[in-house]
Amino acid sequence: MVSIGQLFPIGNDTYSLIINVVWFVAFFVIILFFNQRMQIWTYQRNVENATKRLEKLAEKSREDALKTIKQFAPDNTDIRSQVTGFLDFFAIEPVDRDPYGVLNRLEHMIDDRQGRFKDFVARIEPNGSKIDRTKTEGVLEVAMSLNLIFKVVRHYLLLGKKTKSLMIFVQLDMQLPQIMKMAEAYYVAQDTFATGKPMGDGLGALVASKFINGAPTKPIAEDIIYSEIDISGRKAFVLKAEGPDFTVGKPGEAVKRLVEGREGKIARIIMIDAAGKLEGETTGEVVEGVGAAIGDPGPEKYKIEEVATKYNIPVDAIICKMDIDEALTTMKKEVVEASDIIVERIKKMIAERTKEGDTIIIAGIGNTTGVAQ
Amino acid sequence: MSKKRQLRFTMMSIALTMAAIVLFLLATLVDSFSTYGIPMMAAGLVLLVTSWAIYFFGERSAKPAKEEPKETVMTVIGCKNCDMREERAFVQGDYIFKDMGPCKKCSGSSYIKAIYAVPIKKE
Ligand SMILES: [Zn+2]
Repeated sequence: MVSIGQLFPIGNDTYSLIINVVWFVAFFVIILFFNQRMQIWTYQRNVENATKRLEKLAEKSREDALKTIKQFAPDNTDIRSQVTGFLDFFAIEPVDRDPYGVLNRLEHMIDDRQGRFKDFVARIEPNGSKIDRTKTEGVLEVAMSLNLIFKVVRHYLLLGKKTKSLMIFVQLDMQLPQIMKMAEAYYVAQDTFATGKPMGDGLGALVASKFINGAPTKPIAEDIIYSEIDISGRKAFVLKAEGPDFTVGKPGEAVKRLVEGREGKIARIIMIDAAGKLEGETTGEVVEGVGAAIGDPGPEKYKIEEVATKYNIPVDAIICKMDIDEALTTMKKEVVEASDIIVERIKKMIAERTKEGDTIIIAGIGNTTGVAQ
Repeated sequence: MSKKRQLRFTMMSIALTMAAIVLFLLATLVDSFSTYGIPMMAAGLVLLVTSWAIYFFGERSAKPAKEEPKETVMTVIGCKNCDMREERAFVQGDYIFKDMGPCKKCSGSSYIKAIYAVPIKKE
């Protein structure tokens, strides 16, 4: 026979009553006080697994960086300790509480950092060519980023453990999917950088080199070259970073010099860049807009906006959508195909929006690794 | 691969929990089992503990052991004069617009036209 009363057996004797009371109390203690502890355990387990994975990625990327450097380093030097030490290298952003000239100060800091990178790589890679060295800079950059990500996540894991705070774990756990995606993308990107394959971010450079198509080029700013070509009666200055090095150069400076050099007599500036896509959008989608299409920390974008405003030059932006990991890793077929579409779009754009005899600037923005001109 | 294993562990864990609940219910609600009440409860507890253990530790062992490359990188070689097109695997040192010497079909010069990644299809 079945009866519900038997689920909560209440005997007549005091002995069984006490047992029941103890049971209820124990039950509520578990629910009320251990509930949060159990939640912490669950979150902590997730974060611990992620931290382990990040540690592995940081370690592997360091080893890969060492492997890359070893090819060009003399046999007798201890590169391991030098590289391990360099991975903690940092740069401090300029104070922005007084924003006057903050971009100049930021640019100075970025140049400084870049200079230190170049010096360090030149020192440990005396046998490498210029291209090898720029690639190593990229490889080191990845190892540094992964090292930093691992350290920050581990910091919050240990902080959460120490303070037994559910909120620290919840916040960390919430951001983990994005952090892990980024870290995995960086790790894959390291191989792309080391072998010198063109990356998704190189789309702008690829479009520019399709316009240049073997025409003679001249340097115009740091790591930037330009070529003067004719597009249906218009004179076009096409600029990109100097490939196939691993570099983005200073396209803002280049645009500024070209515009200033012609006293602002530029009909249009057309910029091409890769841009992050939203989930659900397709990779390789080409979209048009206005404004300086460039994803630098600020100084280069500012120069373009400033010079365009000064001489009242319209700035067209053409972007190709891709995921962050697609931008950092080897160029996808869709992106290569998009570059041909963009070339046609620009030709059409020039025919529609400029007159014959006009001078225009076409700026292919992005890292030009694996893309010559 | 690891997703499948993870799913299997989760299913096992859920099945064990269900079995434990059935045992508890039988032991408390059905009169004829009341003599075996204590051993049945104990068995149910063991089942619950195993279920949790599988849930907690199974996931860890299900992590992928090694990483396989997910894509191959192809290099496309074209010619400036004719429509020659050749596709081969990427070799270190390749870059777009690299001069590849005279064309195999005509007297023009060939160069690397494109380099791109194609995902490896999973069988
Ligand atoms: Zn040919």
